[in-house]
Amino acid sequence: MTCRKFHKLIPLAAGNDLRPRQARAVMSHIDACPACREELEGFRRAMGGIKAAVKAERGAEWSADEWDALISRVNAAGKKARAGEGRAPRSVFWPRWAAASALGAFLGLVVLGVLFNGPARPTRRSPNGDGAAAAPGAARQDKVAITMVSPETGLQVVWFLDKNFDWKGDQE
Amino acid sequence: MVLSGRTEAFEPLVTPYRGPLLALAMRLTRNREEALEVVQEALLRAFRSLGRFDLSRSFRNWLFQITANEARDRYRKRTREEAAFKDVAGAGAAATDPEAGHDREELRTDIMRSLAALSPKEREVFVLRDLEELDIAETSRVLGCSSISVRVNLSSARRKLREAIRRDFPHLEEGR
Repeated sequence: MTCRKFHKLIPLAAGNDLRPRQARAVMSHIDACPACREELEGFRRAMGGIKAAVKAERGAEWSADEWDALISRVNAAGKKARAGEGRAPRSVFWPRWAAASALGAFLGLVVLGVLFNGPARPTRRSPNGDGAAAAPGAARQDKVAITMVSPETGLQVVWFLDKNFDWKGDQE
Repeated sequence: MVLSGRTEAFEPLVTPYRGPLLALAMRLTRNREEALEVVQEALLRAFRSLGRFDLSRSFRNWLFQITANEARDRYRKRTREEAAFKDVAGAGAAATDPEAGHDREELRTDIMRSLAALSPKEREVFVLRDLEELDIAETSRVLGCSSISVRVNLSSARRKLREAIRRDFPHLEEGR
């Protein structure tokens, strides 16, 4: 190692922060070069001096008021966070519940509307000679409604089928 | 206990580190009032993210990391604000240094002033490695950079400080 290269490494050598291979090279150089050894010692003294002086700086002490104010703020933030966690499930749950109820009510109205309007159609078709639908009482039995209600969300799904589970349109 | 939401358990957890955290923040910001704010925000952040703390790590170094990040964020924000102010004010002669306004509030001690000669990154590395005595690997982890970057900035910081000591405080080099 040359003195020039050594000088580049002095700052890290002074704090023993060189990689092992570089550290070995530096050690062998200062064994052979008193000027560089003296330079390294001077650098270490300077670093030691500044570290001691900085560490001796005052002002890093907390007054009781400052620390209490900080801890109060942390406590307040913690309580706020906990209150937020408590509200969160409700705010998520209510809109879902409301949406499911609204959908269920809407589907219920649709079902009722269809059921009340349904019997009129076969009576209109009976003059066309459809034997199966000729009797008014039999016509009411032609349609079957199957309703599935989800116990979790209240969602209702309604299927309307004829008694043979076939579509009337396909038969005609 | 803190993880289960008991905020009162947080104070005994961080009390042993309150002095070192304030010292770190003061060395990074060079201003006591700002350092108090940095530590306050850092502890709030620590409290909120305690659930993500890696138990295999040193709690002290984790707090140092949060504090250093907070100080860096504030420095960037202040630099941006001062740059914006400079633009609006027409780039006055007194505002050539982004820290000029801040200097008025600085701790006016010689040694702390010597840290002003360092760039923010150099200061962070010097403070953590040489004053807080973290090793290179832990310093790089706290600062979120490579060990090469730590060595480069550390070398530069020590060289600048050595020059400042030679010029302004020769008694320190002589061990007095």
